[in-house]
Amino acid sequence: TILQASQDANRFMPPSPIGEITGHFNAFIFNVAVLLRRSFLPRPFHVEPRNIVDEASQGRVSAEASALSSRVHYYGRLTASSDRLLAPPDHVIPPAEELYVYSPLGTAFKVKGKESPVKNPSIVTIFAIWNTMMGTSILSIPWGMKQAGFTFGIIILVSVGLLTLYCCYRILKSTKSIPYIDTSDWEFPDICKYYFGAFGQWSSLFFSLVSLIGAMVVYWVLMSNFLFNTGKFIYNYAHDVNMSDTDFGTNGSDRVICPFPESDHGGNCSIGAFYVSNNATQPTVFDQWWSKTNTIPFYLVILLLPLLNFRSASFFARFTFLGTLSVVYLITLVTIKAIRLGFHLEFHWFESTAFFVPEFRPLFAQFTGVLTLAFFIHNCIITLMKNNKHQENNVRDLSLAYLLVGLTYLYVGVMIFAAFPSPPLSKECIEPNFLDNFPSSDVLVFVARAFLLFQMTTVYPLLGYLVRVQVMGQLFGKHYPSFFHVFTLNIVIVGIGVLMAKFYPNIGSIIRYSGATCGMTLVFVFPSLVHMISLKRSGELRWPSALFHSLLIILGIANLIGQFFM
Amino acid sequence: MSSTAMKKKVLLMGKSGSGKTSMRSIIFANYIARDTRRLGATISTSGNLETAFSLLFCFVFATVDVEHSHVRFLGNLVLNLWDCGGQDTFMENYFTSQRDNIFRNVEVLIYVFDVESRELEKDMHYYQSCLEAILQNSPDAKVFCLVHKMDLVQEDQRDLIFKEREEDLKRLSRPLACTCFRTSIWDETLYKAWSSIVYQLIPNVQQLESNLRNFAQIIEADEVLLFERATFLVISHYQCKEQRDAHRFEKISNIIKQFKLSCSKLAASFQSMEVRNTNFAAFIDVFTSNTYVMVIMSDPSIPSAATLINIRNARKHFEKLERVDGPKHSLHMRMR
Repeated sequence: TILQASQDANRFMPPSPIGEITGHFNAFIFNVAVLLRRSFLPRPFHVEPRNIVDEASQGRVSAEASALSSRVHYYGRLTASSDRLLAPPDHVIPPAEELYVYSPLGTAFKVKGKESPVKNPSIVTIFAIWNTMMGTSILSIPWGMKQAGFTFGIIILVSVGLLTLYCCYRILKSTKSIPYIDTSDWEFPDICKYYFGAFGQWSSLFFSLVSLIGAMVVYWVLMSNFLFNTGKFIYNYAHDVNMSDTDFGTNGSDRVICPFPESDHGGNCSIGAFYVSNNATQPTVFDQWWSKTNTIPFYLVILLLPLLNFRSASFFARFTFLGTLSVVYLITLVTIKAIRLGFHLEFHWFESTAFFVPEFRPLFAQFTGVLTLAFFIHNCIITLMKNNKHQENNVRDLSLAYLLVGLTYLYVGVMIFAAFPSPPLSKECIEPNFLDNFPSSDVLVFVARAFLLFQMTTVYPLLGYLVRVQVMGQLFGKHYPSFFHVFTLNIVIVGIGVLMAKFYPNIGSIIRYSGATCGMTLVFVFPSLVHMISLKRSGELRWPSALFHSLLIILGIANLIGQFFM
Repeated sequence: MSSTAMKKKVLLMGKSGSGKTSMRSIIFANYIARDTRRLGATISTSGNLETAFSLLFCFVFATVDVEHSHVRFLGNLVLNLWDCGGQDTFMENYFTSQRDNIFRNVEVLIYVFDVESRELEKDMHYYQSCLEAILQNSPDAKVFCLVHKMDLVQEDQRDLIFKEREEDLKRLSRPLACTCFRTSIWDETLYKAWSSIVYQLIPNVQQLESNLRNFAQIIEADEVLLFERATFLVISHYQCKEQRDAHRFEKISNIIKQFKLSCSKLAASFQSMEVRNTNFAAFIDVFTSNTYVMVIMSDPSIPSAATLINIRNARKHFEKLERVDGPKHSLHMRMR
């Protein structure tokens, strides 16, 4: 090869003997060096493909990626390091699964996308929405149905479900109608801020807090209730006390009771056959120390206040599966009770009778209030839908989720209402928390109460964390300004819960008032206004659409006003 | 004024914020100084500022909007950057009074459109007024239109959108002929577009190419590339077998420009480079007054001196080529 090279070189080399000899010598030295190098020196920074950790994937640096890498290196030299002018935008960088970190020590690690959104298939998204929407309002659906009348209740449930679904759809679409700005990590309060300025931001925050704090108060009342009943069951079981005669209710193994017969019947109680006066029994020491309204709310403070002060709520997020289990258990419980009790339905359209309520009642506004909170997910639907794998199916998945939720509520409501033993008891007896209609000695219901108690203890700190993040974030900029700030907030929230549990433990009312309040703005008014404004800005507002959305706004406001008058 | 003494211009025009400064910086390896860019952005994109305020700015920092770079391009072409339509009232007046000066002696007009722009009508209006000025003052100029920031468009729509724009632009440009490219600084399209532009500006490029082929075959090189001197855009190349990496031209260009940037920090200038490996030997060297050459030999046993001498001899031949057929490039002024 040396010879050939020198012969070729000769074609252009000037005829100089010294040049030739030098050339030969150079070539010879060069080749010796090459030989030596090949045998002894290892190649530096060479990463064998097989050393790539965590994925035996094939090829590795795609042509586009290597070209992009070269560009990024070069552009980085053209500006100051803090200058973002030539920094690669997100849509240009390969996704996390195609990024590797090469170590000079000879291995390459795949980049685990730290914040990379996990894309969920449709079924997971639908389930997540169902899970989030299913709250304690499921316990109040039979009562709400009773307040509205059976047929009217079913009609209202379906209508409110459809209306809230439409408003949810509006919220989902509202991010798309904002031009020029990257709205990919916006939630609904940000959209309100864009359209209505600071007023929109603060009002949407305030009403979102109303729903959260309302939920926390309901939780406190329910937890007191369940703790009381659980404790009572255990005490009665341990001391073998038979409580079956002290409450007004049915006889038999599947006992259903009416805890407040006078108030339910408006004082006009002509059925005295099974009514046993409670004044006969003396409150025992246990009853003094274990009272639903007097002492238990305070016991809960000792249990829950420390949990609220945790800096991070991720520990409690692990228990969200309990919520699903509890709903499934409730459905099973309802089915079993309905099978055992049988159906007791009579249709009286407009007049009420001794045992039955009319099918259409003027108190229906209470049910719409409850349902507004029951179908409320509008403050976090955008976040939930963001991780849907096939974004084009968002509307379909949302509708399916709402359908499932509606069916669940409908099932529980209809079953409990229909199975409520009406000849001895009046339908008016259905309690805002339908588990109250079962005595504390009922084993199935005891399990339900204990389970729900445990589940609520794990969700309560999560709710507290959400409230804290929103309030502290907006007021002070940080999620945890200091222990004192957070503690004060927690004291306030817990205080409201304790006061409600002591003086007004009617969860039906708490749910309907808070539901109608936050529903008015976040469900009806703001989404409709935002939609109409964005249409107006692009000049596409037609009068049927304006009419319909104005009607929605009026409905939302009427919903809230109706809570006070009906 | 004789045309040989007047420097011919390459006009890089477009709306403010369309990416001209970034483009120039990337192609010509100019460091973007933060202040001028920010000032420029403040003034140019200040549609909402009162005219008085911006007038004050412009009187004080009058040179900001008008970027006369001292980049020599293809011999003696000078690159000028102009913001079109940044401020409706002020720039229009400034524009019209200086119009003839700006548009005289233009060799090339490169107009940059932002594909995301919401004011298509306005963009076309400014483009047409530039074309009118060109027709009046430099009717022989070549016109190129770059539809920029295509990375912001979804991949499946890029072809469609570009085709639409191209049709509109070609229609609007009559009687001048414009060549359209779609570009983005985040893929190879920018480099390819500018390479095509430079290719069309080299006076006798086909002859250069055939001579390059002969040269490569004689010295038995694997690949020979011819780069434009200021920008390291590939003017032409020859390869004797299929190469794996389609992006190698841009990568080489980036590497050399980074090296040039480093050299300039030491007040040194880059002239030539030799890279050796067990598998190949690559030589980058000055070739003619407007070009650099890169020769890649896959037989590393051939001594460097041989190849360098070959290149030196070829250089004389190619310079003759340029001189003979290129009257526009006044090489007489080149003092070495």
